[in-house]
Parts: sequence; structure tokens; C-alpha cells
Amino acid sequence: MNCEKTKEKFADYLVGNLDKKSLAEVQTHLTACPDCRGELESLSAIWTKLGVLPQEQPSSALRQRFYAMLKAYKEGMEEEKTKVFFGQAASRWIERFMPRRPVYQFALSLVLLAVGLGGGYWMSSSRPGVKKEIATLKHEVNDMHGMVAVSLLKQASPSDRLMGVSWSSRISSPSEKILQTLLEALNFDPNVNVRLASVDALYLFYDYPGVKEGLVNALTKQSSPLVQIALINLLVEIRERRAIDALRQLIQNEKLNSRVKKRAELGLAQLS
Amino acid sequence: MDQTSDNRLMEEVRDEKVERLAILFERHHIMLYNFFLRLTGNRGISEDLVQDVFFRILKYRKTYRSQSKFTVWMYQIARNTHIDHLRKQKQEVPLEEQFEETESHEVDTVERMVGEVDVELLRKALDKLPIRKREILVLSRYQEMKYKDIAQLFSCSVGTIKAVVHRAIKDLRRIYCQLQGGTP
Repeated sequence: MNCEKTKEKFADYLVGNLDKKSLAEVQTHLTACPDCRGELESLSAIWTKLGVLPQEQPSSALRQRFYAMLKAYKEGMEEEKTKVFFGQAASRWIERFMPRRPVYQFALSLVLLAVGLGGGYWMSSSRPGVKKEIATLKHEVNDMHGMVAVSLLKQASPSDRLMGVSWSSRISSPSEKILQTLLEALNFDPNVNVRLASVDALYLFYDYPGVKEGLVNALTKQSSPLVQIALINLLVEIRERRAIDALRQLIQNEKLNSRVKKRAELGLAQLS
Repeated sequence: MDQTSDNRLMEEVRDEKVERLAILFERHHIMLYNFFLRLTGNRGISEDLVQDVFFRILKYRKTYRSQSKFTVWMYQIARNTHIDHLRKQKQEVPLEEQFEETESHEVDTVERMVGEVDVELLRKALDKLPIRKREILVLSRYQEMKYKDIAQLFSCSVGTIKAVVHRAIKDLRRIYCQLQGGTP
């Protein structure tokens, strides 16, 4: 066997995939050829070294999420089935009452339209309670968005937490707990994308008590230049004069990123 | 434990018994997680990608053909999921590269556990391999996948895969030595 043929077998040699005959052939060549021997030795060394990288276990959240997804998917499938079933039954039932001649069909649709309009008018005028019910429902949906947002923000996966931030920005009037959780995310979340998203979400709620103070306090705690710049932009835009001290403090920090420093100085000029 | 073959289980999932996917999940999710971990180096993202793969298996279950091996089909989906992730990442965080803040602290703990200085270097060297070579190397070294199956996955000949593995190991050794500051 020549060098070329031998080298073709190296990949199989590494995974232990050579039959006895080929292995013997390779070994015979190796004893005679120091070049090939050297190459195979160095390849084997790194191949073995790769074994050092340990196999890791995912967190238990992965299994939970998978089973939740599977359950939701199954429920979705069943719902789909019943929908199709009821849909077919209903259309057959309606078919029986449908007049055959187009003129009658047209007349029937006019009658139905009139009934619909009249009914709608009657409902809105005679039942003032409906509006109240809708308002309560809206309030409940709002609360639910809040609950989902808070629980997502507490997840281990950064993408879940990001989703939590985006849920929280759908809320029209956030509870104190959501604002608190968002401020916590801004200050303590290890992922810079989550912190950035929290700045954007908090921008929507800056009028609520405690938020402006929280934003000012966060400024000196941040280490990521991206978040620092986003915060300065926000504080300047809402003309928060209490940020002046924090900005001065920031500029004095010698380790500060040069671009952030420039932005902070500009911000200081804009505010004072 | 259920001894039914992967292919049989997937056929059942395809034929609307979706709860059978749970067995396939239990059999393969750890391997899949480690596959992504070696490609991305990030635990959170790897878990998200595993979840995404199983969701796609459900969504595209009707396209599964019994004659193809389940793991080959699954890794095909996994590769697509990873490629989509890379595309999305490029669009979403272009600034990330300007300001470094990686999650390197996660790696540190593993390193401490293994007690080897080499680990981080090896991981970095692996990261520097082009994506195709890295995928093929990871599949053959860690996922215990046969060259024949990898060839099917990449739609090429077995000989090509063997040559890529050979070259990938050679490149890896060179990069590793460079990172060590020595000569290859």
C-alpha cells in the first residue's frame, strides 16, 4: 500500500472502523514509512484530546418545555379535529335550509342583514352593562399579560426573558410588580440583550412612580456600553434632570468606554 | 423501556400518534443538546435549538419517509435549525461584535470541573474551524454517527466525508498549536 492509499484509511482508523485486513495493511505501511506514522500519531493525539470536552446535561427546564409543547400541540390537534367535525355538520345543516333559487337567496340575505343590524342596535342601546363587561375583560387580559411577563422574566433562558420583556410592553397599565421586575432585569440580568430590551420597555412606562428614579440609579450600575448609551438617550429624551449627578459620576469613571463618555458629556450639556 | 426502533416510532408520530415523540425526545435530546453546544458554545441557545428541532419534527412529521434513518432526518432538521439561528443572529445583533460581552463565565465553571488548561483552548480551536468541517467533525467524534450516515446527511460520497474528517483534524491541530503559541 502506498502513502496515498494509507492516508485514505486514516479517518476509518480514528473511529476504529477498519477490518483486520486493512488494519494489517496500514500497520505494515506505517512501520516502513516514518512520514505517515508521524502524521497518524499527531492526528490520533488530537482526536483523543477531543475526548476531554465533556458531554453536558441540559437543565431540567428543557424537558419541561418539551412536554408542555407536546401537550399544547396535541390539544391544538384535537381542537382542530372537532372544529372540522362541527364545521362540516353545521354546513350540512345550513344547506338544508338554503333556498335553491338565487332570487330567494338574495332576499334571505337581506332579511338576515336587517335582523343583524336591528339586533346590534338593540343590544347597544338596551344593555349598558355590556360596556362594563368589556372593560372588566380588558382589565383581566391586561392582568394576564402581566402575569405571563413576570413569569417569563424569571426563566433561565435569555430568549424566554426577552420574550417576557416584550410581553410586558403590551400592557397598558403595568402593576408595581411588573415595573419592579423590569427594573431588576435592567440592573441584574446577565444578558445584555435582555437589559437593552428592558430599557425600551421602561421607556413606555417612565411616567409611573419609581421608574425615573430606577432608571437614574441604573445608569451607574451598568457595565455594558450599549446599555449605558441607551439609558443616557432615554434620560435625555424624557428630560430627567436628576440624571445630571449620575452622568457626572459616570464621566469621572476612568474605565468608561470613550463613545459612552462622549454621549454622557453631550447628555450633560443637553440636560443642564 | 420501549424497545421500538426510532424509525418505527417516527412513523407512529407521522401517523398522528404524536405522544410517541416523547420516547424519541428521551433518547436523543442530550446528544442533540451537546451537538448544538459544540456548535454554539452557549447553553441557553442550545436548549432553545433542541426545543425548536422537536417542534419542527412535529410540524413536518408528514414529510418523514420510512426508508430514511430517523437520526439522519433529525440531524438534517437540526442543521437547518442551526443555520436559521445563525442567520437570525446576524440580523439581530450586529452591534454585539463591537462591544464584547460574551458569556465566557459559563465556560469557566466547566473548565474548573475538568481541571485541564487545554479544554478552553481546544474549544476555541474548534470554534475557528469553518462551520461545515466543524459539523462533520462533531458528528463523527461526538455523535457517534457513521460516515455513511453523515454522507447521506450532507448528500455527498463517503469518501468525501472521510477526506473532510482527515483535513478537519489536521486543521484543528494546526489551529490548536497556534493558539498554544507553538509551532504545529
